[in-house]
Amino acid sequence: MANEGARSNPSANPLRVVRRVLHVREVILVVAFVVICLGIALREPRFLQFSNLEQVALSACLVLIVAVGQALVIIARQIDISVGANVAVSAFLSAQWLERNPDGSVLVVLAIACFTGLVLGIGNALAVAVFRVPAIVATLGTLAIYRGGAIIIAEGRQISATALPDSYEGITDIQVAGLPLLVWLALLITIVFALIMRYTRFGRNLYALGSNPENARIAGIDERWHLGMAFAICGLLCGLVGFLWGARFGTVDSTIAPELHIETISAVVVGGVSIFGGSGTVLGAVIGALIFAVLQNGVQLLGISQFWLQAVLGGAILATVLFYSTLARRAERHERESRRRPSLARLAGASRPGRTDR
Amino acid sequence: MSAVFRYVGRWEVFLLVVLIATFAVGSQVSRYFLTSSNVSIALASVAPLAIMALPMTLVIITGEIDISVASMIGLCSATIAVCLEQGFPVELAMLTGIFAGALAGAVNGAFVVYGGLPSLVVTIGTLALFRGVALIILEERGVTGFPDWYQEIGFGTIPGTPVPWSSLIFVACFLGFALFLHLTRGGRALYAIGNNRRATSFSGINVNRALLGVFITSGVMAGVAAIVLTAFLASARADTAIGLELNIITAVVLGGVNIFGGSGTLLGVLIAVLVLAFVRNALGLAGVTPEAQQVVTGGVLVTTLIVFGSADAIRNAWTRVLRRGGGSS
Repeated sequence: MANEGARSNPSANPLRVVRRVLHVREVILVVAFVVICLGIALREPRFLQFSNLEQVALSACLVLIVAVGQALVIIARQIDISVGANVAVSAFLSAQWLERNPDGSVLVVLAIACFTGLVLGIGNALAVAVFRVPAIVATLGTLAIYRGGAIIIAEGRQISATALPDSYEGITDIQVAGLPLLVWLALLITIVFALIMRYTRFGRNLYALGSNPENARIAGIDERWHLGMAFAICGLLCGLVGFLWGARFGTVDSTIAPELHIETISAVVVGGVSIFGGSGTVLGAVIGALIFAVLQNGVQLLGISQFWLQAVLGGAILATVLFYSTLARRAERHERESRRRPSLARLAGASRPGRTDR
Repeated sequence: MSAVFRYVGRWEVFLLVVLIATFAVGSQVSRYFLTSSNVSIALASVAPLAIMALPMTLVIITGEIDISVASMIGLCSATIAVCLEQGFPVELAMLTGIFAGALAGAVNGAFVVYGGLPSLVVTIGTLALFRGVALIILEERGVTGFPDWYQEIGFGTIPGTPVPWSSLIFVACFLGFALFLHLTRGGRALYAIGNNRRATSFSGINVNRALLGVFITSGVMAGVAAIVLTAFLASARADTAIGLELNIITAVVLGGVNIFGGSGTLLGVLIAVLVLAFVRNALGLAGVTPEAQQVVTGGVLVTTLIVFGSADAIRNAWTRVLRRGGGSS
């Protein structure tokens, strides 16, 4: 992706430029997103009301922030199943502190939540990067540990809105330049991590580790450090979402976000990140999360029975991955054909380092 | 020395020691632990998980994964319930449930084999899809009113023994799976697929058919597990077994099956299932809440894997030392 400039040579005619743009996966995703929004809006104009869009955005932001962390992890060819449990622990511990110290600063609550999330993320990092347990199994284990821990700490208790000061509840009501603060925060996180993944050495190393761990190791990339960092960042973002969760929903208990791992992995995969790592972007994952939020809202608004929601989401996931695999196959065939014409391929080869992205 | 290592170092032996230790500690914790009624409760409650661990072992050995198993159980339960509501005889409802499972498994298999998609992604999609279909056809109703003999599958024990009927079903399935996996050519082919798919394909094994078969088996067994589970719960609902997939995968991995495929035995999985069942049971008798039991399960999984990994490293180091010694002499 970092070589769009190199790809579009000056002799390209406009039609070709259009085709190039359409080859960028995020553009397809944005188009799909807009089409879904338009479809819902045509059937149900209430969708476009500001209050509804605001609610969609607020719900989307929570999943989206975790999806960014999950994207980092998956790009590095790992996976984090423990995200939901991490959010639950961080949310409960921070809300509990606030409940005991009603006059405490919200910033301390934020710090507690982020710290908890970071510690749990480092727990995952240790299991995967240091003890070499496969990520899917390691985080399966920590999922049980963290979720069970949350339930033990909470002792079946619920911290409800009445027990918490308004300053905490008010966070989601704060508006900056006409948009909720939460939306700005999500936007900031998206941009920061999109830039990190695209332009920093750390980000490129994660892609390298994801696409070919062996070669990345030989090239001198510190695998432990990078994988550990990916899990730690994912944990930190979970902690942040734990803090926001309480503010958004008012009540916190140990069972919140039970399906967050499925939701975020789906968003990341629909957003075009390969489950085998090495390709895809943070921006794609974010759009994936937005698409799910809009679909969810649409099903409710259109009066479709809530029982259909799961089936619609499942169908959406399967449809997108099928679509991507068809695209990939076509690209492969295209590549094979261009290889058959060696002179052309040699000419194009110099300006086609795009393959390094995969 | 290395021969001794090969046997003592085996994962199954280690698990067996853990199982014996569980029994030793459990009988100290509570005098009810070894009573026949307690043993049959422990066995009956683990039966659905144990039944699903068998096909999951095959799936994981081929290097794939099936996250949708719990949703398939939900789908089969819902199918059974709808059939009963329509006034079908129970036997027909059970068969329809198993057929629904086979169909669901075929959907998974078709996406993986013919779509060329990673099974992790496909089954995350069908996890939502199958649960969704179950919710659509049964909504939030719970169907009860099974005949006595049906509920007997979940609760009843074989007369004169503390062994529940569901364990008998499990043992029958286990023998079938173990014979297939460890003694037939088809079973060896699954290991080969898990180790090197391309090479297996070149050696003339029909990889696609094997994978499709494995996923359909997973669906069929989800139907069997749904029968046992609805009998155990005495009601069929669309939301049964939510989250069970994680426990099933935990059992299989704890049983020493490599999560990346290619190795593992059903004996290990059997012992792991028993360890999980009796550890939880002993903890329950000791007054530990189910939530804390969850922590213990997760802790056991992570620690054993870390130990497993270190044991591997030690064994490798040991063989290296041996080889070096042999070279100098």
